[in-house]
Amino acid sequence: MNRRPSPILEHGIVAAGGPLLVFSLYLVFAGHNQPGGGFAGGLVAGVAVVLAWSAGGSQTVRRIVPIRSSALLGAGLVVAALTGFGSLFAGLGFLESGYLEISIPIIGKIKAGSTLAFDVGVYLVVLGMTLGLVRALGEDRPDEKGAM
Amino acid sequence: MPYLLLLHAALALGLVAARRRMGRWAFVVAAAGPAAVLGWVVAMAGDVLNGMPYEEIVEWVPSLDLVLSFRVDPYALLFLLVVGVAGTAIFLYAVRYFGSDPRVAAFAGTMTAFAGAMVGLVSVDNLLAVFVFWELTTITSYLLIGYFDHLKEARSAALHAALVTGAGGLAMLGGLVLLGTEAGSLRISEIVANPPAASPTVSLAWALVLIGAATKSAQFPFHGWLPGAMAAPTPASAFLHSATMVKAGIFLVGRLAPAAVASTGWWRGSVLTIGFVTMVVGGWRALRQNDLKLMLAFGTVSQLGFLFLLLGAGSAELLFGGLALLAAHTLFKAALFMVVGAIDHEAGTRDLRRLSGLRRSMPAVFWSAAAAAASMAAVPLTYGFVAKEAAFDGLLGTGLVPIMAAAVASILTVAYTGRFLFGAFGAHLEGHEPAGQTAHTPRNSLLWAPLVLAGTGLVLGFFPALIKPLVAQATAGAYGVEGAGKLVVWPGLVPALGWSLVSLSVGSLLVWRKEILDRATDAVGLVAVRFPTADGSFRRSVAGLLRFADRSSGLIQNGSLPTYVAIITLVAVLLPSTSLLGGVAGFDLPPTGEILELILGVLVAVLAVAIVFTRRRFAAVILLGGVGYGIAGLYALLGGPDLALTLLLVETLIIALFALVLRHLPAAFTRPRTPQALRALVAVLVAVFVFGGGLLTGAARMDAPVSDRYLQDSIPEGGGANVVNVILVDFRGFDTLGEITVLVAATLGAAGLVLPIIRRKENAT
Repeated sequence: MNRRPSPILEHGIVAAGGPLLVFSLYLVFAGHNQPGGGFAGGLVAGVAVVLAWSAGGSQTVRRIVPIRSSALLGAGLVVAALTGFGSLFAGLGFLESGYLEISIPIIGKIKAGSTLAFDVGVYLVVLGMTLGLVRALGEDRPDEKGAM
Repeated sequence: MPYLLLLHAALALGLVAARRRMGRWAFVVAAAGPAAVLGWVVAMAGDVLNGMPYEEIVEWVPSLDLVLSFRVDPYALLFLLVVGVAGTAIFLYAVRYFGSDPRVAAFAGTMTAFAGAMVGLVSVDNLLAVFVFWELTTITSYLLIGYFDHLKEARSAALHAALVTGAGGLAMLGGLVLLGTEAGSLRISEIVANPPAASPTVSLAWALVLIGAATKSAQFPFHGWLPGAMAAPTPASAFLHSATMVKAGIFLVGRLAPAAVASTGWWRGSVLTIGFVTMVVGGWRALRQNDLKLMLAFGTVSQLGFLFLLLGAGSAELLFGGLALLAAHTLFKAALFMVVGAIDHEAGTRDLRRLSGLRRSMPAVFWSAAAAAASMAAVPLTYGFVAKEAAFDGLLGTGLVPIMAAAVASILTVAYTGRFLFGAFGAHLEGHEPAGQTAHTPRNSLLWAPLVLAGTGLVLGFFPALIKPLVAQATAGAYGVEGAGKLVVWPGLVPALGWSLVSLSVGSLLVWRKEILDRATDAVGLVAVRFPTADGSFRRSVAGLLRFADRSSGLIQNGSLPTYVAIITLVAVLLPSTSLLGGVAGFDLPPTGEILELILGVLVAVLAVAIVFTRRRFAAVILLGGVGYGIAGLYALLGGPDLALTLLLVETLIIALFALVLRHLPAAFTRPRTPQALRALVAVLVAVFVFGGGLLTGAARMDAPVSDRYLQDSIPEGGGANVVNVILVDFRGFDTLGEITVLVAATLGAAGLVLPIIRRKENAT
């Protein structure tokens, strides 16, 4: 099966990956007030990973996301857990949300909530899961080796 | 006090971190820990003994009501003193004991952590904090006992100790939590002041606590781990046997006994029985040992039995004697262990049948051993005698059986003490090759530590008033009784003296006329052989547990995916549906929806039916995805954009990941081995349950739905307009954290399982 996907398809898919990732981040940030959130955002990013795989196999995935999936999983879990403990030490309940209002010149006021950090953790875990599964299941089969 | 604990933690971590650069001199640094404890005790003694217990509360996590409360009263002060004295002596002794093994510094660090855990254990006033330190001693003792990790005995002994005390610790945690709930407070001082009223729950709580304490203090029938623990290097054994670990259980029963006796009827009897049985069994087993260290270990079991009942029985008189004896036990047991270490070090063996002539070649060792042994056997003019008199005095008030049992144990103690002393320092036995190495006088530092401890035993024997205020105040603090006992050099002609003299003379007779003892031990040994030893029963129960786990998991986890799915779904369906059948309140048919909903519903149903008849895997996956998309559409129609979005994405990803899996599977389904009808039955059952259950639960609502509150609180409390997200990250944030943890574990597991299989396939082609 020494067959390459058409270059147009490959480049098109890779090009679509960027906007998808941006959209996934948008979902995370908008999620608290509109549909979205860390889980949905992570899934969208995961879809981008799968697309990258279908464009060029695990080589392409490795090139685009040069991070180990276990690092993402671990980082996500740590971020989420630390958020919980952070609220605890701020005198709130475990995972109770706290907010900081930061005003930045020109851009204006930004409301950063602890929930956002928690959602980022969820996002990282979901993305790490997709990446891990794609890496494990998408190992190049010997009969496809030549294609890469 | 918090600084004292921090010091131990810093020392322990520092020594482990710097282990490559430090050899055995690490113990000098480590000794700063126990020495600081000793200094603290001396500095605080004035205040604490004058009725001003040291109290401090460290706020930790205020919002969870987690505070670290310390309370050192005279009772705790005595235990701190014991840890400080024994710790300092043993740590300095260890400097010379070890050669230049690079792991010694890490060992010193572990010892410091062990000491710190014990210090924390006796000085906190909170049951949960006690448990934390309790488990810390278990973990560190595991590392200490298993230090010689190239030896199989050391590894299995460490595991034995960790399993027994760990299991006991878990039982105790259950007991402590129950106790805390029933008493309405986790503060030990409050529980002792206001013990919970008697009830079955309270009884269970006390029983669990008793089990925990008994495992830790090596009480019958859990005593098997302690003799095994002598596989540890001698300094660790000396510390573990004399001042820490095993004293933790004693500490706890002594601390809680006043409350336990007040709220149960059986505590006192159980503690007395456990203690006496342990005393006699330990003394008996000690007599039969030829290894000096093992003999001391069984001796500790026996002494612990005595201490357990004295402190745990819940009476002021017994506590008084017990605390006096506890101090004595620390002094002589630590000294004797260090003596054995010195003998082992210099003569190359601990077998008393082979040792000979050490009295001349190691005079200083001999004299410290003699002084410590005299205290252990309670020879008059030693502190051991003074303490035992106080203990006997207390026991006399309890009845004839207890005092007789104590006397039997004391006779055994005198007998094995004699055997120890004459075995180690007398001539070797006929028919046994004498120790090969010529013993020479050990270096000074191996000598002075046991000498100082044994000497202290003699000094206190003449001046018991030095320690009396501490013991008396500790007793008064627990029971509010002044003058519960006396510590005097010579008690005068009182009944307790009679019992002491009887024990001493019968014991000495057994030492002197060895053949009586031998004949008796052989005779009893014939009977005793029929009873399982603690060690043997432990091994058998562990083996049995493993066999059971093997069989049961072989039965349930047979490796067939359909079986797993069937078991999981059937359990999920059958359990709740049986209770559903009991209370059917009626159906609440939902209103028929719009035409679009109907169309989507039919579509989903048609696709689902189609999956069943598909032959090719890929087609099935696509159809399954279609079902998912259809349901996502329904969510969108019913006003759940978040659910719809997420489901849509999940279905997309699942199809993609399925495609990856399918590359490794045959294109068409293989014929299943289990009958189709059986599978259909399971499927239909699940369908009926989900459908019927949904209708029933919808009709069975009794309280207002929680969603109203969530909607209301979403913005003011969660700060977000998307209530689904607020629920996920705030209201039910803990659940989400759990879920992503499961996700991580599942991913790692799946990747770990799949990768080797794929790689193997690759190598095969």
